[in-house]
Amino acid sequence: MDATLKEPKKVKAPKKKRIRGIESKKSMYGRMFILPWCIGMLLFFIIPLFQSLIYSFSTVWVEPGLMETELSGLENYKFILNEDPNYTNNLWSAIQSFFRNMPIIIIVSLILAIVLNQKYPGRMIFRSVFFVPVIVATGVVMELLTKNLNGVDAIITLTTETENVYSEGTGGMDFTVVLQSLNFPEEITKTMSGLITNIFNTLWSCGIPIILFLAGLQTIPEQLYEASTVEGATKWEEFWYITLPMLSQTLLLVIIFTMIDLLTQNTNPVIQQAYTLMSAQSVYDQSAAMLWLFFGIIGLGVGIVIFLYTKILLKKWN
Amino acid sequence: MEATVKKPKKLKLKTARRDQYKRYTRSKAGNFFYTLFLLIMGLYSILPMFYTIITSFKPLDELLVFPPRFFVIRPTTSNYSVLPSLLDNLSVPLSKYIFNSLFVSIVTTILHVIVASMAAFVLSKTNIKFKGLIFAIVQFSLLYNAYTLEVPRYLIYSGLHMIDTYWIYILPNIPASMGVFLMKQFMDANVPDPLIEAARIDGASTVRTFWQIVMPVVKPAWLTLSLFEFVGMWTVTPTGTIFSENLKTLPYAASTIVAGGLTRQGAAMAVAVIMMIPPIIVYLVSQRSVTQTMSSSGIK
Repeated sequence: MDATLKEPKKVKAPKKKRIRGIESKKSMYGRMFILPWCIGMLLFFIIPLFQSLIYSFSTVWVEPGLMETELSGLENYKFILNEDPNYTNNLWSAIQSFFRNMPIIIIVSLILAIVLNQKYPGRMIFRSVFFVPVIVATGVVMELLTKNLNGVDAIITLTTETENVYSEGTGGMDFTVVLQSLNFPEEITKTMSGLITNIFNTLWSCGIPIILFLAGLQTIPEQLYEASTVEGATKWEEFWYITLPMLSQTLLLVIIFTMIDLLTQNTNPVIQQAYTLMSAQSVYDQSAAMLWLFFGIIGLGVGIVIFLYTKILLKKWN
Repeated sequence: MEATVKKPKKLKLKTARRDQYKRYTRSKAGNFFYTLFLLIMGLYSILPMFYTIITSFKPLDELLVFPPRFFVIRPTTSNYSVLPSLLDNLSVPLSKYIFNSLFVSIVTTILHVIVASMAAFVLSKTNIKFKGLIFAIVQFSLLYNAYTLEVPRYLIYSGLHMIDTYWIYILPNIPASMGVFLMKQFMDANVPDPLIEAARIDGASTVRTFWQIVMPVVKPAWLTLSLFEFVGMWTVTPTGTIFSENLKTLPYAASTIVAGGLTRQGAAMAVAVIMMIPPIIVYLVSQRSVTQTMSSSGIK
């Protein structure tokens, strides 16, 4: 990385002398601007990252005051894949829950963002209703909201129960029963009822995508809609031919953000397992291997998504 | 437009109805479902928060009622007034924790937004060498959960003598890559290159271009970023890197209170409500500006 920072000087230098003054000054500013971030990145991300990569390929043990490592090749990876009873299951369930939640979050947050983007009195209040829980329900408050207090179930479950009591009182319905009666395949029924019980988590995961979509929606010039109205386009066509293509960059951003957010939450089973191993049993090598394998898979997934998105969808829209 | 005049009376917001109708659907049913969808989702989203706030005003006997009641019958503020005394055994007053949290969150947020925007500006609008590589690192690093880096990072902290200082909160969070990623995406989309060209031709320096042209244009983006960063920092609890009671933050104090168990439930709720206030204030301040249109970008 050091090389990265110094290199541009060499590139600019061979240019002709008379333009050198301004150009080198400009490139110097460029480097100055990115320098603080690069230093921080190097210190707190890249060096630790390589260190942990080394751990994943080594046997690590702790001596008083320092950590000893010895390269052991793929031992850790073989162990976690073949011998650890939980790792592959955790990995599988993490991926499954990701595929269940991802499309719902994207679609729900896009719809909510479009509806919330309208100009009407009280829209600040409506927006706040969606964002405020998202921004407050993190860390300790989230813990509090879900924590097992009073020997009863989590407060969220309580609220859901009170809800159910109300809805039953007014002739409400049990979603699971309804879904089963519709003769959907069992998998869909399970997914749907899981979603309904997890509605708080799902909705709270929508908060940041909604903010991103709203910021994106605000950059679409009003004239486009005016023109399409004059041309007689329906709202449905407006959505597919104006809103969605204009949101293409934001959509990619949201997809990547949601993928990362869903998969790297601390509640993720793989991360939980690795962290317990690391903090409770001080097994640094295997836990590093677990995380690296997991992040390798996520990285591959994100890479494929970006590739497909830019190659297929963006081409179609531009 | 004629159609918008006569409306079903069922819907809640009169003008919302008109606008939505005008913009999105041409049927009463579609219109109705939009509003209904919004209302149901909104209700589900906000309920747990209301429950927390209401519970924080419940006296002890109402807290222990089973099944729990949603509303409070005899509200009391004793849950709040008892807070300082609950922390007596921690030797540091509650206000110190609040100060620490606010200090750390505000400083980190400001520094992070500046550093990330500067880096994003370079990545988005200049031709610095290894631009592609640096941006690849940004995207790559988004994937990594802090847990992965915890152990190696600890070694670096101790090498830099950062353990048990404020720096441990501030420094590692400044180069977070989410900010750079967000800012670059917004600058790519919303700062047209001709704008930068024009500024350069008019003789503006790089610094001036950045501060007076780019930053105002992407104001909604960096306000949103500061909201995220503030919220993230507000709940930060370092493990194993802060030992002085003096330097610990409010989430730590909150979890001590929560750990008190059954009889402290009201106090725990009160602390949760206190924890909610600053993010809400930051949200209100930043969103007010975010909702302004970004149409002032100069060229369009």
